[in-house]
Amino acid sequence: MSGIVSSEAHKPPTEHRSGHGSGFLIVFTAAMTVAAPLLLPLTAYYLNLLMQASTYAVAVLGLTIVLGYTGQINLAQAAFFGLGAYSVALGTVSFGLPFWPALFAGIVIASVVGAVLGLTSLRLGGHYLAMVTISFQQILMLVLTNWISLTRGPDGIPGIARPIVFGFSFAESGTYLALCVAVLWVVGLCVGRLKHSKLGRAMQAVRDNELAAGVVGVDVYRTKVIAFTLCALLGGLGGGLFAGGFTYISPDQFGFAESVVFLTMALLGGARSPFGAALGTALLILLPEWLRFLKVTYLAVYGGAVILLMVFMPEGIWGFLETLRQRLWPLAVLPVGRVAPLPLTTKVAREDGSIILEVNQLSKHFGGLKAVDEVELSVRRNTVHALVGPNGSGKTTLLNVLSGIYKPTNGRLFFDGQAVTRLLPHERAGRGIGRTFQNVRLFTAMSVLENIIVGAERPGNEVAVGSTGVEQHALAALDFVRLAELRKQTVQSLSYGHQRLAEIARALAGSPKLLLLDEPGAGLNTVEKSELVQLLKRLKGHGLTILVIDHDISLVEQVADRITVLNFGRRIADGPPAEVLCNPEVVAAFLGNVKTHVAP
Amino acid sequence: MGIALQLLFTGLGIGSIYALVALGFVLIYRATNVVNFAQGDFAMLGAFSMVVLCIDLELPYWLGILITLVAMLVFGALFNLAVYYPLRNRGFQPVIISTIGASILLENGVLAGYGPRPQTLPSFFSFQGFSVGPIFFDSQYLLILGVTVVMVTLQYLFFERTLLGKKMQATSQDKEMASLLGIPVALMIMLTFIYSSALGGLAGILVAPILFVSVGMGSSIALKAFAASIIGGFGDVTGAIVGGLALGVVETFGAAYISVPYKDAFAFIVLVVFLLFRPQGLFGEKVAEKA
Amino acid sequence: MLKGMIYHRLVLAGLMAMLTCFGRGAEPLKIGMVAPLTGPAAEVGRYQTQGAKLAAEEVNKAGGVLGRPIELVIEDSQSTNPGSVLAFSKLAGDKDIPAFIGPTFSTQIHATAPDIQRLGKPVMIGGTDPQLTHMGNPWLFRFRPNDTYSARVIADYGVKTLDKKKWAIVHSTDAFGTSGMKNLVEDLKGMGVEPALVQGYTNNSQDFTPVVLAVKQSGADVMATYMTLPPDLAIFARQLRQLGVNIAWVGSPTTVATDSLKLAGPALYGTYAVADFAADSSPAAKEFATKYEATYKSAPDYHGAWTYDAVHVLALAIDNAKSLEPQKIREAILSVRDYPGVEGTYNFDQNGDGLRGYNVVKNDNGKIAFIKHIDFSE
Repeated sequence: MSGIVSSEAHKPPTEHRSGHGSGFLIVFTAAMTVAAPLLLPLTAYYLNLLMQASTYAVAVLGLTIVLGYTGQINLAQAAFFGLGAYSVALGTVSFGLPFWPALFAGIVIASVVGAVLGLTSLRLGGHYLAMVTISFQQILMLVLTNWISLTRGPDGIPGIARPIVFGFSFAESGTYLALCVAVLWVVGLCVGRLKHSKLGRAMQAVRDNELAAGVVGVDVYRTKVIAFTLCALLGGLGGGLFAGGFTYISPDQFGFAESVVFLTMALLGGARSPFGAALGTALLILLPEWLRFLKVTYLAVYGGAVILLMVFMPEGIWGFLETLRQRLWPLAVLPVGRVAPLPLTTKVAREDGSIILEVNQLSKHFGGLKAVDEVELSVRRNTVHALVGPNGSGKTTLLNVLSGIYKPTNGRLFFDGQAVTRLLPHERAGRGIGRTFQNVRLFTAMSVLENIIVGAERPGNEVAVGSTGVEQHALAALDFVRLAELRKQTVQSLSYGHQRLAEIARALAGSPKLLLLDEPGAGLNTVEKSELVQLLKRLKGHGLTILVIDHDISLVEQVADRITVLNFGRRIADGPPAEVLCNPEVVAAFLGNVKTHVAP
Repeated sequence: MGIALQLLFTGLGIGSIYALVALGFVLIYRATNVVNFAQGDFAMLGAFSMVVLCIDLELPYWLGILITLVAMLVFGALFNLAVYYPLRNRGFQPVIISTIGASILLENGVLAGYGPRPQTLPSFFSFQGFSVGPIFFDSQYLLILGVTVVMVTLQYLFFERTLLGKKMQATSQDKEMASLLGIPVALMIMLTFIYSSALGGLAGILVAPILFVSVGMGSSIALKAFAASIIGGFGDVTGAIVGGLALGVVETFGAAYISVPYKDAFAFIVLVVFLLFRPQGLFGEKVAEKA
Repeated sequence: MLKGMIYHRLVLAGLMAMLTCFGRGAEPLKIGMVAPLTGPAAEVGRYQTQGAKLAAEEVNKAGGVLGRPIELVIEDSQSTNPGSVLAFSKLAGDKDIPAFIGPTFSTQIHATAPDIQRLGKPVMIGGTDPQLTHMGNPWLFRFRPNDTYSARVIADYGVKTLDKKKWAIVHSTDAFGTSGMKNLVEDLKGMGVEPALVQGYTNNSQDFTPVVLAVKQSGADVMATYMTLPPDLAIFARQLRQLGVNIAWVGSPTTVATDSLKLAGPALYGTYAVADFAADSSPAAKEFATKYEATYKSAPDYHGAWTYDAVHVLALAIDNAKSLEPQKIREAILSVRDYPGVEGTYNFDQNGDGLRGYNVVKNDNGKIAFIKHIDFSE
């Protein structure tokens, strides 16, 4: 057994990209680009172009958050852009406000609207969200165009003022551009930092595997709404700056076509990275300018390019470069120093073998199909309880009900003495129920360690405090399954068996009181299976409570303290292995009425 | 009363156009789980094809229609190969984007080739229509209604009564299962695209004399048709038809009695209301939870 | 002897200098032009550039401007506001361009106005929003009568000549339609007429049944329209006739645009329109129409007409000013008196408006017949 025993936990070697070096580089580059418009004599043409690019880029960064990080589609970014722009325009021109309060108002309005939109429509996914955002977009356009008394209608609003700060005026275009670039840098850095924060990880988890994210402890709905609100916020900010830049806005600039432009900018550059957002925006603003010589056909070329991008470069240009970099300079297998042992049972764990999970008369019907039919089940602490049955007997369905993925048709669930029948998946994770899936559900775009960290960040996980603490805890979980060296690899580069182990580590990192394992042996070869059995025995030895589903009886036999057998959704046997496996009804269920024992 | 009836007739007429396009959406969605943002542009292509054949080349209408339909069938196949097929395993987002790109490509390609001037396609009939009391029945609208009824009936018979139709239905309900049963899934999807394309083209042919043929005609119909299919119940064929008709009527009445400039808003407000309170639409199945 | 050689050399040098002056004299004079070459308004852009090019050729045949041939440098506005701004600022970066032909669409001119003001060079525009010449920007020169005049002419003709008192106004809710409607309502009120119906609609409506029914129900005996897009106009006209409405109709210039006539056909017969360009309104207009048709194989409309006038007037102004300095060109333009353009006779006022009246025309079974010209002195 490795990595345990030593009570002096050495800090694992923390890897910064290059520490202070890269930070300085960023600050320097930022300062240069902000100073450039002030120092260089740029023509009005370039000033206008760059102003458009930088304000658009802010809006596109919003899409990076909602689409790139969280995987939700937003086809109304131009509407939020428009809300920000109109707030600044109306604020300064009609209501006589100074620039900054008008901009602030614009950001607030856009955020609130975004939040409302998100709260109402994020429960539906995919196409529905797309439709709601498009509808909102259209309605806003109509309002901007037709509510003339407020918005001045299609005439638009000219003469928008630029900000003044302590008497220093930004009226001059070069200065204003410098302001926009500065804001862009700040926003870009924040968006970049977000990716590596708890919220950022939660977002990526939702994107990569929404189902698993919920089960692992992420409040999926709340994460989506936050992402959507942030996107709207940035849209409003970009729009407000845009209004100040061009000093004239009209409703036709904020229509669906513009939302498509924003979306394409995000995709072209690479939705998942702030660099991608900047790159995509720059390209799509500059390209038509460079392509002016194509004059008539460039939009068609651009449409065709979008298709080609999706087919050949779905991660956008930046994503493509990233993949290339990973191929050429793959992350090394990193040795790890001594790791503190994983505390598998909480400090207040009870070792008394009392019942931790009680399933009462649970049923789950799908229309006429009774997938689970009045099942009774009790799991005792510190035991390994197996749930077996032939294919289609309702095992996975039952597990999904236990996780909160399905609502039961009838029946009740009690965990640790409390009713949990109505809880959402992430709430159950918060109570200490951990789970793995039959077909491995890892978060494919994140590294192995990041996956585990998401597990460690489940609500109510009292063992992990602070970001270093969380990382240490995750590392410990990884070390327990002996994958610590692979922590920086992408999930996809792992072998199937290792992926399974990683998933188990993710569940362990959540300090589960009960661990649900769904067919952990599926797809493993004999060697891997015996390793799995060893792992289960170790877990059992540490006193963890496990409910495991598998149809491989020989595997189950080796670790289970108690077996429950399902057939056609009903429980047909429940008891110690020796007793259950000799039960003729059980044998018949598995093997038909043939008495010969067939090796699984 | 007369006014209301007139509005009803016009509303149904416009609604049939939405219904035809929505039908194409729904079929593709059922087969591939993907929304085709370029569906409206199929209509645009059909209309332009008619202009080229019947105006520029001065072919008789029946021949023009025939050639257009055949061309749209071929186009549907090409569209499938270029836009959907390479992305079929990548989830719905890349495909949505790709179809948006296709839409831009088609619209601007035609713009580049044909110029931005809107074209007329004279009505198929020399007589404009007839009046019954206070209501005027435009002949072209009547044709659209008629063709829609016929198409829907034929389609129903095809899907429910022929083996090929049932295979296509099976594919749309469960690709994996269908494939396990020996149904060539890729071929079924190809057929779906081909048929939807022809359907879109047909909508374009029918609507061209009313709306005039311009590059942007497709997108403006497409959004409404999409909304209609959601109102009807996304994924449901009957729903698409009913949703389309209903939307056309709601829009027309809303414009007349509430506000003309906000006409487009009604469609979307109704859509949002449905999405919030009844996302499965009028006929759809409950929006399912994933396993 | 030496003195003679120096003298010869001086003469030679002087001759060389004069030759190079003449050499530079043949160098083209660039005139910038912002037009929509792509996007929804690409067709309009085509007409605009055709009109301008025709004028440029004529100017060059007559010797050019200040002895130099003029060359149009055209940048694509992409039919959008930001596109117009970018196109203009690109041209503005070229120091050799003394003046510009600007956009037709008022919203695009508004968007570009701050940059124009900053640059401080003359821009000829075709937008009809009255505000454009009343916002303190001295560099905009308008080559079409603005919307206050179209409204006044419509009101004048409808009330005084056609003698109709019950008015329905149908207008697009965009900038053009809304401002036109506002002006017309005001003018009618000034003549003691309160409109029976004011009905707006959004551009690109597919169906105008509700609008037609509203007109019918209002009991109006005359209808004025400010419609921007030919397809909308055509659908509206057809449905109007289908539902049996045949009241007098006086429409904005789109009513006789080439595209509208083609799309609407018989539905527009018998309608009146105010048009800044009418081929029969003057000998100059007729000549232009003939030349344009011969060169481009299609009849011209106001898009090509105003740019044609703009190029000619600009050339004249620069020649009169004998200078490329912006202020001098400006003064020269404002001093233009009674210039016989194809859009009308130009007399520039201090605001930069060159025309103050409209032609009234009638659609006589597809042919546009010129009826009269109504001008206002201010």
